[in-house]
Amino acid sequence: MRSIDPACKAVGLLLCTLLLCLRHSPALNLAVFALCAIGLLTARVPLRKLALSMLPILVAAVGTFFTGYYFAAGSGSVNAQTLNLLGSRVYNGLVLSSRVVAFAGLGFLLAYTTDKVRLVQSLQQHFRLPAVFCYGLLAAWGIFPNMAAEYRKARAAFAARGVRVSALSPALLRPLLVKTVRWSEALAVAMESKGFTAGRPRKPYRPLVLRPVDVLFPILSTAAMLAAVLLVPV
Amino acid sequence: MEQSRGWKLRDVIMMAILGVVFAAVYLGVFYVGLAIQGALAPFGLANFSFETIYGVWFMAATIAAYILRKPGAALITELLAAAIELLMGNSGGVVVLLTGLIQGLGCELAFALFRYRRYDLLSMALSGMLGGLFIFCYELYYLQYYLLAPTVLLAQLAVRFVSAFVFAGLLSKLACDGLAKTGVLKSYAVGALQQADLLADED
Repeated sequence: MRSIDPACKAVGLLLCTLLLCLRHSPALNLAVFALCAIGLLTARVPLRKLALSMLPILVAAVGTFFTGYYFAAGSGSVNAQTLNLLGSRVYNGLVLSSRVVAFAGLGFLLAYTTDKVRLVQSLQQHFRLPAVFCYGLLAAWGIFPNMAAEYRKARAAFAARGVRVSALSPALLRPLLVKTVRWSEALAVAMESKGFTAGRPRKPYRPLVLRPVDVLFPILSTAAMLAAVLLVPV
Repeated sequence: MEQSRGWKLRDVIMMAILGVVFAAVYLGVFYVGLAIQGALAPFGLANFSFETIYGVWFMAATIAAYILRKPGAALITELLAAAIELLMGNSGGVVVLLTGLIQGLGCELAFALFRYRRYDLLSMALSGMLGGLFIFCYELYYLQYYLLAPTVLLAQLAVRFVSAFVFAGLLSKLACDGLAKTGVLKSYAVGALQQADLLADED
């Protein structure tokens, strides 16, 4: 799974996700999640990492189940008269909540088996993502680890002035935005000085070659999902 | 004022870093949303938890549009912010790019409706609300929200609109005005406009 070209993998998983939306089948949703889990485990994604990632997904799935149960389309509140609707309500909840789990499986399959920088490079080389966006994206991604430090600095600066701000205070937004503008200007100058500009053709430093398996992955995965969507009973 | 229509690397980096900043903000509020979701789950109201903070998703787009004042700024920023979320390992996978595109189209439409001449609270709030509306239409299919009662869906949409107004409109406008006052935007369109206004006042 890890060796498949990231952009081809992304396209295959995107099409599978969109096809899955066509059916109301908890069994199909859970089967898709099980296949994704097998894919993740065979790609040696740590079980602990997967389990921790699934926690918020499970909270969301449980929440969605109850929403689907209580507020199914075309039903009122639950009482003795509507008790016979309970079966369909449970089913409604299961459809919605299993969907959350299936989508998470497909999402994690891409997220945990893909080199992110290679994904952007693959999008540029195989799907013609303009170079200026590729550079900008990778430059911004490189800054991401600094964000936590900058956030702490902004809070410390407020504290030094005797101003108490909560962890989610909007007051922290302004210093972070100031930093954003300064970072973008400094990064742009640095990159332009090295020739990273739009309109100048550059050869890729790491050319990515498409293999037959890369091209086959989106075709076969989409075909398999299409077959499942058409053939699996509700 | 003559504006360059092409995208410079500086603009793209600014939009992408805005995506990074708001991805971090989103991470901060995500766990709050999750806690509320857990609390509301037994009542079937879990969907409302993230509706209250939905506006955070559109802040990068409205702030970028306010600063850069170029057609396409809101759309491209939403796409770049979605790409940053994808790089962070979002559980939505590559679908986040599609949602970024749809939200971005909604956000961009608001500024286009004003023919890219208004960058104020009204256009920014409308941008967030249209972004929310566009993605809601997509969610009807993607999350199969059509299986839920219409009254609940309308209530969800109403909460989303309020959130978009507060975060993408009000808070973003205040943050941008504060940012402009610091002077760091003088080399951007909004800073140049401010400079022109100051010169006109002096004359």
